[in-house]
Formats: sequence, structure tokens, C-alpha cells
Amino acid sequence: MARIQIENLSKQYAGGQMAAVQSLSLDIADNRFVTLLGPSGCGKTTTLRLIAGYLRPDTGTINVDGTLVSSPDGVTPPDRRGMGMVFQNYAVWPHKTVFENVAFGLQIRRLPTAQIRDKVMAMLDLVGLQGFDARLPGQLSGGQQQRVALARSLVVEPGILLLDEPLSNLDAKLRERMRGELKQIQRRTGITFVYVTHDQAEALALSDEIAVMHLGVLQQYGSPRDIYSRPANRVVADFMGQVNFVPARVVDAGKVAIDGGPAISVAVPGSLAAGSAVDLAVRPENIRLAATGANGSAIPGRVAELTFLGNMNEYIVTTARDARLRVQTHPTELLSIGDAVALEFDPRQCSVFARS
Amino acid sequence: MVTIAAPAPLARPKTGGLRLEHVVMGGAIASLIVLVVLPLLSLILGSVSSEDDGFSAGNFIRAMERPLYYRALINSLVLGAWTGLFSLLMGLPLAWAVSRTNTPFKGFIKLTASLSYLTPPFLTAIAFVNLFGPNAGLINNFLRSIGLDFLTFNIFSMSGLVLVTVLHTFPFVYLLAASALESVDASYEESAQILGAGKWRTALQITAPLVAPAVLSGTLLAFVNAIALFGSQAIVGIPGRIYTLPTRIYALFDYPPQYGLASALSLIFVAITVIALFLQRGYLARRSYVTLGGKGSRPQLIDLGPWRWVMFGFATAVFLVAIAAPYASLIAVSFIKSVGLWSWENLTLQHYRFVLFQYDVTQRAIGNSLLLACLAATLAVLIGAIIGWIDLRTRLTGRRLLDYASLIPLGLPGIVMAVALIQFWLATPFALYGTILILLLAYTGRYIPLGVRAANASLRQVDSSLEESAHILGASWLQTMRHITLPLIRPGLFAGWLLVFVPAIQELSASILLFSSSSITVAVAIFNLYETGYIEPVSALANINMIIIGVAILIANRFGRSPTGVPRSSD
Repeated sequence: MARIQIENLSKQYAGGQMAAVQSLSLDIADNRFVTLLGPSGCGKTTTLRLIAGYLRPDTGTINVDGTLVSSPDGVTPPDRRGMGMVFQNYAVWPHKTVFENVAFGLQIRRLPTAQIRDKVMAMLDLVGLQGFDARLPGQLSGGQQQRVALARSLVVEPGILLLDEPLSNLDAKLRERMRGELKQIQRRTGITFVYVTHDQAEALALSDEIAVMHLGVLQQYGSPRDIYSRPANRVVADFMGQVNFVPARVVDAGKVAIDGGPAISVAVPGSLAAGSAVDLAVRPENIRLAATGANGSAIPGRVAELTFLGNMNEYIVTTARDARLRVQTHPTELLSIGDAVALEFDPRQCSVFARS
Repeated sequence: MVTIAAPAPLARPKTGGLRLEHVVMGGAIASLIVLVVLPLLSLILGSVSSEDDGFSAGNFIRAMERPLYYRALINSLVLGAWTGLFSLLMGLPLAWAVSRTNTPFKGFIKLTASLSYLTPPFLTAIAFVNLFGPNAGLINNFLRSIGLDFLTFNIFSMSGLVLVTVLHTFPFVYLLAASALESVDASYEESAQILGAGKWRTALQITAPLVAPAVLSGTLLAFVNAIALFGSQAIVGIPGRIYTLPTRIYALFDYPPQYGLASALSLIFVAITVIALFLQRGYLARRSYVTLGGKGSRPQLIDLGPWRWVMFGFATAVFLVAIAAPYASLIAVSFIKSVGLWSWENLTLQHYRFVLFQYDVTQRAIGNSLLLACLAATLAVLIGAIIGWIDLRTRLTGRRLLDYASLIPLGLPGIVMAVALIQFWLATPFALYGTILILLLAYTGRYIPLGVRAANASLRQVDSSLEESAHILGASWLQTMRHITLPLIRPGLFAGWLLVFVPAIQELSASILLFSSSSITVAVAIFNLYETGYIEPVSALANINMIIIGVAILIANRFGRSPTGVPRSSD
């Protein structure tokens, strides 16, 4: 419904020398599901509140569909932006019934009573709360309150819906179900969703694009696949799931040599000269374990720990150089502690970063 | 299925400019300045300027040189110290009995503490003069008639003054100690017991240190409140020739009024109060670890065995002295034709008829007091709500300062507030002195801290996301206030309203300097009638006063229900 263009946005909190958000530029296309992802304190919630208009930026601008809504000189207040927002604690008004909660935004817009009734009832149907309209929030479960919050934001048909960790207070089962429903609603309505979370699995499952943030700085902006398998830097690689950093040295633009092991062909960033120390980042599921001596390009190692996780086995393998690598295999590929193994990487799934 | 067409348009595309909330916030800040800050400044100014030559410390030097004044200071400190000590000795055992032991009839003990707090202290004083006046006191007379002269007690003494004051101030210790004792997480004590400490050892080594800050803080509050009570110090102190700071300041307004000296004495009074409150806040801040345990289980009650009846006996004794004796004497006197004759024929309603229907002064006083208390409570709560909102919900520069400014009246005893208002308004072209408006300003200013505290406590319960989600749905500031914030904090505001109404309807310390015959209040009418010796109408008026307070409590409880349909945790 709406495109959000963020340019060079910065925000510092009063008295703090630390910037909550630092020169952030982000172009969020219409009709997309975009996630701001990062650990707590990375500036993702501040960014969301800047988009909503609760905060005034120190530098930079926010345009919605080509209209300037935020700049250091002033912000269009939240009540004039026509956005929706779902809060982490739901923020369902405890003194209003479910119906009154959902109807509030329509009443503010002075719609006729009959129309309000129709729209609210249709929306309660959509979120699966038929028959709950007369209840007070105190009588609802967390998941139901979350649906009320969602219905309340959607019923006013906003062009943009902002969601601040909306699922984090739900239990695991419900979270998964609501995840699916959110995705469906976004597709059906075409509303631009800006979603904040610290849960990388949630971000991967939901998003069209993910913006990974760390210490107020945007690290990478791209599709879930890109972010996961082509992380732009160590921070992103580390945050997007488990990763092994294997010490290596650059041979040339297309090859690195693993310390104490073979050379493998992998794309090396142009800034890294031959001979510089690097880390080869490889995810545990992208390492294969084979019997020793099978292949000249494999690294020899020994199984040090084994954990059965149900859908996989997780091994810690030590190499001759005392590096400890995490490896995940199918649960039927069973080895014992002490077994000698050979580690093989798929070079297409590896990234190279300068040694820090 | 909902079809999403073009987003429903929001009216009013305007941004920036002067919005309503800025006007409202500005109004609250301006009223705080006019009500509190400017009067205090003119008090300070008045204290260092003398009639003939510019600025000097002459007023302070005179106040500290002349025995007339420094004795008043010493008397106030002595009164405060004894009152603090006895408040502790009464309040702490009762609090412990209620929250930690199996003492029977706890509701009765709680009621005793609440009633003691609600009873206007000057009424307690009048009632005790009825009972223990050196010549005509009912109990003294009775004791003399049965030959027990040595048991008679002269109320017009420092001990008498301490007695009538303590009966009003011990609830401060009781309330703070009880809430601290109840909020100590049981697991602290249970971990001591599992390590082998007995119940009494645990009480002494674990519980006592945890609640000590709250108890000390309650004692200091008792001290501060005790020295500020003009009524009892005038009624019991002056006949016994025990002058204190409030009564001495009051006397300085006899013709010709000595404003400079009164201001200097007032500031010395403020200094004592502020030091005590500063210590009190310090202790209270250390209290925070008591509640750290959060939702811990309730502590186990100590089985006192037969001693629980001793504890109950103590509570009963407090009830008899603090509630039963004064009220019995006030009620009895209000229904009899003349004191001393006890028979059915001697019963009458004429005193009630007199104060309610015949005597225009008391009629006017009742009307004025009701009007003043209602308006002052409403204004104090409204201003308090806005100041609390600014403090918690905005990033306005200087909002901390605003918060401190709203606490200033806590450090101003009633009579000092009156002196400050007189100083300030006499210096302006507005002829407010002697009008009912200056009383309204005094009451509102005095009780703003209560309004701010009530609003702050309720606003903290309302997460700001509840307001933010209304904003993002298009609600303006006013709409959000009306539909979201105010309904949610309503119970707290009603509680705050009552908290202001009760002391306002019986306000004497400030009114005594500010009233005129047209703006007389109930408390002043009672005081004046008492001074002229009309004890029967005084008693009738006193009972009417208590009925008004009772009705106000009922009404506020009715309208102050929680709007969420979920019972609020008992707080």
C-alpha cells in the first residue's frame, strides 16, 4: 500500500553519547513484509518508533509515498499518519470490550455506526474471534489479546502496519500459528508490514526482506536467503544462526588455504590481499563428515562431543590445530566420541571475512 | 473477508503549531508557579526585608535572640520528638500485630488506625479538654468526686499536647510499617529458618533490618505532621502557656501584624520540616529492596498464644483513648441541654438545629467548607494529573524540576502557606485577602502533592503503549485522554480526590490566618466557637463534620471503581 523511504536517519537519546540509530537508509517497497532484525539495543524498536512518528529524528528524513513525514524540523504526529501498530504487550485497552477496542479507530474516523459494526464483525471473523466481541480483555488469553490488537490495527485499513515483537509473549505453539496467520494476512491485504524482532527464525520465515541491525547501524538489507547464506559481515553471519569460523589465509581472489588443511575455492572479497589472515565462515549443516582419507580436500578431525537433538545429531569435532567445529548431520548418520573423521565443506556455502 | 480499498482518510492534515496539549500543560505549570513558587519566593523575600531599611537578616536575628521566639522553636522540637517516639511505640506494635501475628480482630485494629487518622486533630484536642480540663474536665471531676485526686491529669501541659497529637500521628508509623512488613518476601525469612534461625531470631536479624527504613520514615512523617498542627497546639498549648512555632506565628498577626518576623519564623519552621522530610525520603528510598522479592508468598503468621489477647487489649486501649473517649464525649455533649446533668429530659437536638438552621455563621461555614473542599480536591487532582503526565509521558526539559516544585507544599506547614500567600497577594493589585478565593488557592496549593502522587501512581500502572496505540489509530491528544488515559486512571484519581477532600474539609492551620466573616470555614467556626466557650454547638458541628467525611468516602468509593471489570489487587 505504501512505500517507506528512510534516508540517513539518526537518533540519539537525551544525554546518551550512544546513538540508538546511526545514518540509517532503507527503502521499503510497497506491499512488502520487511523485518528489522537484531539483538536488544540494536536500534530496531527506535527505528520503528521513528517511522510511527513517536520520535523526532536528529538527522535524516522519512518519506511515505513521496510525502515527507519526519525530519529534524518536525514530524507528522502519529495520529495523522494513518498507520497501524501492534505492540509487544498488545496494548489492548483493558476498560473496553473487544468490540470497543476494534471499533475505536473507526469511531475516530467518524464512520456511520452500522458500517462500524459490519467492519468490526468482519475483522473479528478474519482474526478468528467470532463471538468474543462483548468480552473484556481481562477475560482473554494472551493469544486472543494479540488477535484483538491485530484486528484493531487492521480494521482502519492502514497503508503500513508496524509490529513490535508481536509474538514474543506467546508460547511456542501459538507463536508458530500466529506466524502463519500474519504472513497470510499480509499477502491478502497488501499492507506494507514493518516487523521488529530479535528472533532470526521468525524473521526468516516471515519476511520478504530483512534488515539486520547492530548497535544502531544497518548491517545488511536483503532477502532471507541472501542474509542467511551470503552474510555481509561476521556480525550478520553470527547473528543469523550458528556458524563456525575456520582460520585460513588468502591464496588469491578465488582461493583460501585453511590453516593446517587444504586450499578450497571460494569467492574472496576484493579488499583482502593475498596472504592476509581470514576466517572462513561455514554453518554446521554445511559440513559433511566422511570416513578418513576419503578425499584430499578434507580436513582430518576427531569427534569430541555428541548431542542428539531429535531431528539431527550435533557433533563437536576437533581438528589437528585444536579448532573446535560444530557439525550437524542427519540423525541416522551416527558416529561415536573419539572416532576419526574427515570434514568436507561446500565452498558455495562458505563466506570469507577478515580476521578480527 | 475484508476488502482493503483506499485507506480511510484521516481528517485534519495539519501538523505542528500550538496544540491543545501544550495549552493544558502550560496552564498546569503556570498554576503551580502562582500557587506555590511565587508565594514561597515572596515569603523568602519578606523574611529578609524589614519595614524601614532594605535587605537584612534582622528578622532572623530577632527571631533567634528573643526567648519568646526561640522557646517556641524549642517547644516545637520537643513536641515533635516526643510525638515521634510515642507514634513509634504505638504504631509499630499494632502494625506488627496486624501483618505478622495471629492477633484476633485485625479489621478492628485497621479501623482504629484509619479513624485516628481521619479525625480532625483539633476535635481530639477539644474532646480531651472536655475530659481532662484541670477544673471542669469530666474525668477529672469524676476522679475528684471519688477521692482519687492524685489521678487527675492536666491536659494543658506538654504531656497533654503530646497525647492529643500522638492520637493523630501514630497512623503514619502504622501504615508505613504495616505495608513494609507485608511486602517482605516470605522467602527471605524462610531461608533464614531453613538455616536454623528460630522465628524470633529471624524477626530480629532478617525482618527488622528490612523494615527499619520504612518505620523510621513513618516516625519522621509523624514528627513533621505533629509540629504543623495549629489546632491542637492552640487549644491545648496556649492555655498551658506552651507556645510553639504555629501559635507564635499566629500571634504575630495580632494588630499590628509583624510580617517580617512572621516570615522569618515561618522559614525556620520550613527548614526543620524540609530537613525531616529529606531524611524521611532518604530512608524511604532505602526501603526499595523490601519489594524486590515481588510476587513472593505471604509470610507465615507468628502464633502469639495467649499473648495475642494482650496485643488485642493494647489495640482496644488505643481505640478507647483515640476514638471511643473523644467521640463519646463529643456525641454526648452535642445531645444534652447543659453539661453536668445526665437524664433523658436533658437530651436535645437543639444544638444541631442551631448550627444547621439558626446560626448564619455556621451555616455559611458548612457551605464554604463543602465548596472549598470539593473545588480544591478537583483542582489539586487535575493539576496533579497533568503534572504527573508531563513527568511520565513527555520529554519536556525541566520536567524533573516541575516534579520537585510540586512537592514544595509538603515542606510548608499550613500556617506557613498562609503567611506566604498573604505576603504574595498583598504585594499584588488583586484584593484577594479575606476572600474565599485565597482559601481556595491555599487549599489547592497545599494539597497539590497529594494530587500529583495519586496521578503518578495510577499513570505508572498504565503502560504508555496504551496511549500510543490510540494515537496511531488517529486519536488526538484530547481523544486519547478522554477515551483511554482518564478512564484507566479514574480509580486512582478518585482516591486522590478523597485524599485531598478529607484534610481540606477540616483544614484549620492555613484557614485561621486567611478567613474573614464571609469566607469562614467549618474548622474555623469550631475553633472560634470553642474559644468563646460554646462547647455544645462545637460538638454538634464536629459530628456533622465527621458525617460529611463519611459520606465523601462512600461516594468516592462508588465512583472510583476500576473500569476493567477485573478486581484490582488490594492496594
